[in-house]
This record gives sequence, structure tokens and C-alpha cells, in this order.
Amino acid sequence: MLSLKLLLFQLIAITIFCVGFFPSKNVLQGSGEFNFEKELQLTTKPVFTKLVFVVIDALRSDFLYEEQNSHFHFVHRVLNSGEAWGFTAFSNPPTVTLPRLKGITTGSTPNFLDAILNVAEDDVSSSLKDQDSWLMQFYKHNKNIRFFGDDTWLKLFPLNIFSEYEGTNSFFVSDFEQVDLNVTRHLEKQFKEKEQWDVLILHYLGLDHIGHKGGSQSKFMKGKHEEMDSILEDIYNSIGDTEDTLLCVMGDHGMNNGGNHGGSSSGETSAGLTMISKKFKKLAKPKDQINTVLPIKWNENLTEEEKDYKFLSFVQQVDFVPTLSALFNLPMPINSVGVLIPELLRLLDPKLTRTKLKENFSQLTELSKSLTTRNIYNAIDFQNDTIEDIISQMQSVQSELMKSATNYNMNAIYIAIILLSIVTLIIIHKAFSNYKFNILPVAVSLIIGLSSFASSFIEEEHQIWWWLITGMCAFSLVYNSDSKFSNFIVFLCLRLIRGWNNSGQKYYYPFALSSLLKLKYVNYQWYLNTSTILYFMFKGSMNNFPSFMSSFLLANLCLMYKVSWAIVNQEHVPDTIKHYVLVLCTHLMSARNVAPLQLFESTLIPLARLFFCCVVILLSLTLVIGKLSPTRLGNPVSNIKKIIIFLLIFQTSPENIGLYLLFGILETNLTDIIDKHYSGNTQLITTISLVMQYFTFYQFGNTNSIATIDLTNAYNGVSEDYNIYFVGWMMSISNYAPAIYWSMFPWIIDDNKQKWKKFIERKNIILLFNCISGLFLLITCTILRYHLFIWSVFSPKLCYYMMWNIFMNVIIGWILETLVTYVM
Amino acid sequence: MPVKKRTNAIKKKSVTFSDDTTVTQNEHNKKDKDSEHPPVSVKKTIFTIPIHLLGLLYCYIFVSESFDTLKLLCGLIPTQILYVILQFNRNTVYGNKRLKVNVLLIFIAVFAALGVSLPIMLGIILFGAPLIDKSKETLLLALHASFLAYPAIYSVFNCNFKVGTWKKYFIFIILGGWISCIVIPLDWDREWQAWPIPVVIGSYIGAFFGYSTGSYFL
Repeated sequence: MLSLKLLLFQLIAITIFCVGFFPSKNVLQGSGEFNFEKELQLTTKPVFTKLVFVVIDALRSDFLYEEQNSHFHFVHRVLNSGEAWGFTAFSNPPTVTLPRLKGITTGSTPNFLDAILNVAEDDVSSSLKDQDSWLMQFYKHNKNIRFFGDDTWLKLFPLNIFSEYEGTNSFFVSDFEQVDLNVTRHLEKQFKEKEQWDVLILHYLGLDHIGHKGGSQSKFMKGKHEEMDSILEDIYNSIGDTEDTLLCVMGDHGMNNGGNHGGSSSGETSAGLTMISKKFKKLAKPKDQINTVLPIKWNENLTEEEKDYKFLSFVQQVDFVPTLSALFNLPMPINSVGVLIPELLRLLDPKLTRTKLKENFSQLTELSKSLTTRNIYNAIDFQNDTIEDIISQMQSVQSELMKSATNYNMNAIYIAIILLSIVTLIIIHKAFSNYKFNILPVAVSLIIGLSSFASSFIEEEHQIWWWLITGMCAFSLVYNSDSKFSNFIVFLCLRLIRGWNNSGQKYYYPFALSSLLKLKYVNYQWYLNTSTILYFMFKGSMNNFPSFMSSFLLANLCLMYKVSWAIVNQEHVPDTIKHYVLVLCTHLMSARNVAPLQLFESTLIPLARLFFCCVVILLSLTLVIGKLSPTRLGNPVSNIKKIIIFLLIFQTSPENIGLYLLFGILETNLTDIIDKHYSGNTQLITTISLVMQYFTFYQFGNTNSIATIDLTNAYNGVSEDYNIYFVGWMMSISNYAPAIYWSMFPWIIDDNKQKWKKFIERKNIILLFNCISGLFLLITCTILRYHLFIWSVFSPKLCYYMMWNIFMNVIIGWILETLVTYVM
Repeated sequence: MPVKKRTNAIKKKSVTFSDDTTVTQNEHNKKDKDSEHPPVSVKKTIFTIPIHLLGLLYCYIFVSESFDTLKLLCGLIPTQILYVILQFNRNTVYGNKRLKVNVLLIFIAVFAALGVSLPIMLGIILFGAPLIDKSKETLLLALHASFLAYPAIYSVFNCNFKVGTWKKYFIFIILGGWISCIVIPLDWDREWQAWPIPVVIGSYIGAFFGYSTGSYFL
């Protein structure tokens, strides 16, 4: 029971730490006012009076400007004719929609918690009801605002500021078409009534969904670009000849090549921003655009790392906020850290330019007073300094402000560290007092703990695990020389697993096996997947009929779903497998005379639900029968393992399913070596399980960045009216699938007296690892809390650490494993 | 891994080495001759310290421009041969007598080292080197590793394939290379972090310690 108490205290410690580390941000209340030359500002006619604001989710800069990737031909045309000015806007990480929308509307730097809350949609604490934003300013000045698109906006802002609105749901990722048609269908009516509104906001999600499903080079991209482009052209034509309307197109963030976002790579942080209006034609183009013909061609020799996604002028995304306020002659939102975009200042009445700069500067100054005690601004001579000087001064204030936007609750942080240190000392003492003490888990924990001091080791954590694994493997190769062949197979499997996916946030290896299978050898991918499913269907269930039947059922359902899913997503599946699945689906749905594609589409949800029901029923049956008469169903533990493995395969993307076959082979050979040389050495077996959990977790393509959280399998069996908790569970299972597989590695039948002792011994090893590596991580986060990477590298790592503790250790390791151990 | 187990394993170990195929092929020979031939060892003396490795490393890091790994190899091969003739072989004791330098074996061992570099390259790939990219660099690294092991390879030939004694030298080289890998993912953007430079340096250091202190290990 001591272990359970220690676990509780460890969890309490990290919870306290998170409370102290992720506090709410300092936010100024109230709203911006004009401070200087109020009369002049109030009486001057604004540059624009009407705004059409189009957000295209995940619109990376190259999607707008680059020759190969961009199909926005209308946008290129107006950029070349000077009717549009283009920018690349830096989107501050975490690059997910909710914090970015906050940034785009209030101009403030994001709070890290927003990234997490982005997933927990029902949350209300992230509301911007009381925060100043350009939307609020428009509303206060009696402008009529209409909104259509992603319903995140409707959660952020009080609904009464919109005179008309409709939200679309942003979480049903496999929908590319309808989600955008639901926005576009309003346009005709809105432009008939265009005298009635002043601001029209549209937020399109389809592009982001395509990215999540198929990456930035997905074959759906071209069509989506053209659709978006034609929408922009229609809007521009509907605006007519008036010069007073501004059409603004922007991405809330970019994406990486895998189509994911959340991190701080240049692809993710470089969003496109283009302003289109007839008024621009009167002035010269911005200096970065004047000698450029769009689309811009990328230098062919650039490698993936060298592409910086910077096209045309480079601005901060938050700069858009004060600039928009200035152009519409409204006060700037008070929490904005944006600086006026110099190119657009040229549109202002010359009399006003310096006044607006002064407004911007005083607003920044007020903000910095509230955030830091240091004096980070110098006096500016607004009469004589050149505009460039003033802007560059303000930009230095801005970068200071971006760094110091949060406060930490240091007391909570210290309490947490002290508490965790005590727990760690007790657990280490306990480990050392064991006479059979094994140094390996301590060494692994220390190496992982120490590595968290270097940001690159966090970004590239998979390298450390690979390094440890090669070390262990080479050691075993030298010292266990009579299992040379098994050892070699283990090493080979590990190397294949290692080459399967790209992990880490910095390097991209183009010949990863998964991408080869997905792009070049799709047939082999499906033969491999089918053999994987068959392997687990037959493995160890041949001599027991009921257990074979359950495997048979699950294997077929799993294969049917995976194939149907792939076909619905327009992936290629070899004909033999397709026909087999088609026959099964026809029988299951008792549908004749239906086109195959529609049949597959209509089976997806019922099939997934049927599968989940089967898993739950079979799992409970196996547990109950296993307890009552252990021998009836063969080996109950291996039956439970197999049901869970099918669930894991079900929650894995097609290109990764083949990895389970490698896992199977690896596990068999590893068990051979252990039985021969380390039989009954629970500490070693647990350490191997732990190392394999982390290694395979990263080698599935996961990293310590929010960007690689994979949502594609979180919606299996979920229809439009989904339950957020169910989706959360599915997301956790699909992201931790390989780790769950390897956490089951030590589950073997043991004699009755030993099993709880061994259970506790296993848990102590995991607790030891979590305590030591966690303690180092907390200390790192505390020491480096003003580090440049604290929000982009260290905080996500902390979140992942929490998730490993809560999901993998508590739910899988303690709750599920207790159940299984009870049955043993 | 557990300390107790480890000592047991050492006692009962038979001959093996992952990268060296000649070893496995000749295992039978060795077993037959074990009883006929006297034990072989290296003297515990400072004369086996391979100073030339340090010199080569110094040239590689400070003198040569942008870490010319090929040039380093050109320096390594002759100095290793000289090392075997002048230092290593003189301190190898086979039974009670010192072995003479066998000129033919010197050449055979060079070819053996060249031949062994391919399996070593596969071994390096198994340890995580890219399969398709940078194969030239990986091959260079493999050649370095096999010529660092050259004195051990020569001695394997010279002592009728008694591989057990020489295994530790191979292990030292691998250990050095393995430890040095840790600097590769760091984001310091240094020239010497490029593949295979850190591993080359690491295996040199490993080999240096190996040949200097190998005789003190079992």
C-alpha cells in the first residue's frame, strides 16, 4: 500500500506544479479609448468602412504565394495588379485554432493552457467576453457584425455581438466538403444585404481538415485551394467598385508537412495574410512586393529544413490588430502587443499617422507597465523621429512583452518540487533496500531526467530512447551469446520499427517506411496489414474454440473497418482485399444494389460501434469466465491481451498497422532471451517494457509537441452529435496504442502468491522512473521559465508527462492491470 | 543488467562478435585448437599506448579543414600497420614466446579489415544509421572502425583465431562510438555534429583506451 500512497503524493505534486506553472494570464480589463487628439481622430473619415474577414484555417504562407503549392490564381492576379498586398504573418505558438483566434482578435500573446482547452471544447473559461478585441471595438461603435464558420468564435465571443451567425463544427475532421459549403451558402444572401452589415467574418475549416487527414501535399489540396480562390473572387466581385471595403484573407496558423500544427516549426508559424481592396491600387505596392511576380518559385535546392516559408513582407500576426483598428479609425484593443504595419500606414490620412503611432505606443506602454516592473521602453520623440525608427522602437517593446506575458505562482512550484523530491527519495531508498536491486531502471531514469535540460533532447527524445535500446541490445548480444539468433532478430525488428516513422521535431527523413508504404507500395501496405491481423487472429488461439471465435470476429470487424475507412478516404486498397470486405459489408448491412463507395461510407459508423461493443462484451466475458474457471478459455491473460491488441490495431492508422507484426515477432524473441537468461527478473522485464513503451510511442510518429497529437482515429464510430469524453478516450488510446501494447508485456500467468508481489514490484519501477524523470523535468521548467522555448518545448513536454502519468500509469498501469492481475 | 548475472555470463561465454563474420566462420577451428594451443595475452605495459591515434585525432580536429574523414583514413591505415609492427605485436605473448611479425599476415589482415568493413557497415545501419542517405559517410565510418580494429584483427590471424582475448578491443571501439552518438541530436549547429564525425572521434577515443588498457581487462 506504500506504493499506492507514494503514487498519490506524486500525482498531487505534479498537479500542484501545473497549477502554479500554468496560471491565468494577466489581462487588463476595460476597453481601449482614444487618448490623443480625440477630436481629430473622431472626425476623420476612416480608410475603410466595411470589412470582409476570411479566415482559412491552416492557410500556410506558401499556399497563397508559392508556385508549386498554391492554386490561388485569383489572389496571385490581384497581388500582381497591386489591388492586393500580401504578407507572411508569424503566428505565435501554440499554433492551434483557439489561442490563435485570441491572438488575431485581441492581439495578445497566447496563454499555454488555451492550447489544451482547444481540445476541451465545452470549456467556458476561455471566453473573451470581458477582454477587449477589435470585434468588441466594432460592436461598441455600433457596427453590425455577422459571422459564419468555425463555432470556436461563438464560444469566444458573446453571441449578442453578432447580428447574424451560424457555426460549423470544427472537430469532425473527416469532413472536407460540407463544413465549407455550410459557410459559403450564406454568401449570396449576405451580399444582397450588404448595406446592412459592416463586418462579415467567415472561417473555413476544410483546408485544415485536409491537412490533418492527408498532409500538406494531399491530393485534395488543389481542389480546396481552387474552391477557396473562387470564393474570394466571388466576394471581391460582389464588393463591386467601392474602395471603402477591405477584403482580408488570413490563415490562423500554418501546418507542417504532415498537416499537423500546434508546435513552433516555421511551417506551422508562417500563416498567409493578404489584404485586397481597390484602394490599394492608388498607392505603390509594398517594397517587398514591388519587384516580385506571384506566384513565387521556391529555390529548388532548398531542403525541407531550409524552407523558411517567408514570402513578401514578414509581420507578426498580432500586428494585424492595431493596424485594423487604425484603418477603421477605432481605438486599439488594450491587451494587444501588436505594432502598426508600416506598409498599411501609408493609407492613413498623413495628419493622423503620427497620432496613430502615438496611440499604439501609449497602449503598449500601459500594457508593459502592468506586466513587468522593468522599464522596457524608451521615450520616443514623436515629432522628429522617422516612422521607421518609431516602429522599430515599438517592435523591441513588443518582443519584450511577448516574453513576459505570464506570471508564475512560485510558492506552488516550490511546494510541488519539495513534495516530489520527498517521494523520490522514499522510492529510491525503497529500491536500494531491495537486495535484488537492479541498477538499470535508475540509470534509464537518470539519463532521461538529465536529458530534459536540453531543449533539443526534448524535441528529439526518440533519439535518446533509441540510444538506450541499442546499448541494451548490444550488451545482450555480447553477454547472452547463446541466444545470438534471437538477439539478432530483436535488433533487426527494432531497427525496422525505428525506420518506420519520422519522429522528433527537427529532422525529416524522406525514406521512412510508413511513407514509402503509404505513397509507393500501397498494395504491400494492405497485404502487410492483413497479415498482421491474421497473425494476431491465429496466435495462441488455435487450441481453444471460443477464444478462436472471438479472435476471428474481432479480426474481421477490424479489417472491414480499416479497409472501409481507407476507401472512403480515397486511399487505394488491393482488389482482393476490397472484394472480401465488400462481401462482408454487404452481408452485414444487408444492403444489395448500393454503390460500393456509399456502402462503405454507410457502414463506417455502425461497424465501429459494433466493434467497440464486441470488445467491451468479450473483455468482460473473458474477465468473468477467467476468474470463475481459469482453464475453460485457455490462457485468460493472453486472451485479454489479444482483445486489447485488436482494439489498438483498430485505433491505428493503416500505415502503422504493420508495426504490430514486428511487435509480435519482437515480443516472441525477447521472451525467448528473457526466459533463457533472466527468468523471473521482474525489474528487468518491467524496465524493458518501459523502454519499449516510450521507444514505440515515439516511433509511431509521436513527439513531445502538441502538433503530433493524432486525431484521425479519435472519431471512429462517432457521428456528428458526439460525446467529448468518448472522443477523448479514443484519442488517448490511439495516440498511446504502442505504449499500451508494451505495457502488457510483463503480464504473464504467475503463481497465485507471487502475483501481487510482482505487481507491486512492477509498479515501483514505473513509479521510480516517473519520479526521477519528473523531478528533473519540474526543476528544468522552473529554472528555464524565462527561456525562449518554455512554451513551445518545455510546457508541451510537461503536458505529455502528465498524460503519461494519468493515462498510461494510472488508468492502464494501475486500474486495468489490477483487473487483469486479479483474474490471473 | 544485473551485476551477478553478468559475471556468470562472462565465465561461460563462448566466442562471439557481432560485426566480425570471420569469427563465426572460424568458430569450429578455434574450438578444436583450444586445447592444443597455449593461452595468448597482451603485456601490461605502457608501450601498447597508441599515441598515433591521438595525433591523428589532433590533425583531424584542429589541422584538417572541415573534418576530412577520408584523409584521416589515409593516415590511419599506415600508422595502424606500423603500430602493429612496432608496438602491439611486440607485446603480444602467445604461450611463453613473443610472436614475430608475419609480413604476409600484415597484408592479409589489411584485406580482412577491408572485407570486414562491409558487415560493420551493416552493423552501423542496424545501430540506426540511415540506409539510403549518406551511405558514403557510413562506409567511411565502417572503414575507420575496421582499421581501428586492425591490430586486433591481425592478432586474431596471428594467434590461430583465438578471438576471445581480442573481443574487448572491438567492444571498446563500439562503446566509444556508441557513447559519442549522444551529441548528434543537440542543436548547437556545429560542423562536427555532422554524420559521421562524432562517431569517428568517439571510436578513436574508444580505441585509444582499448589498446592502452585492454590488457588489464579479462
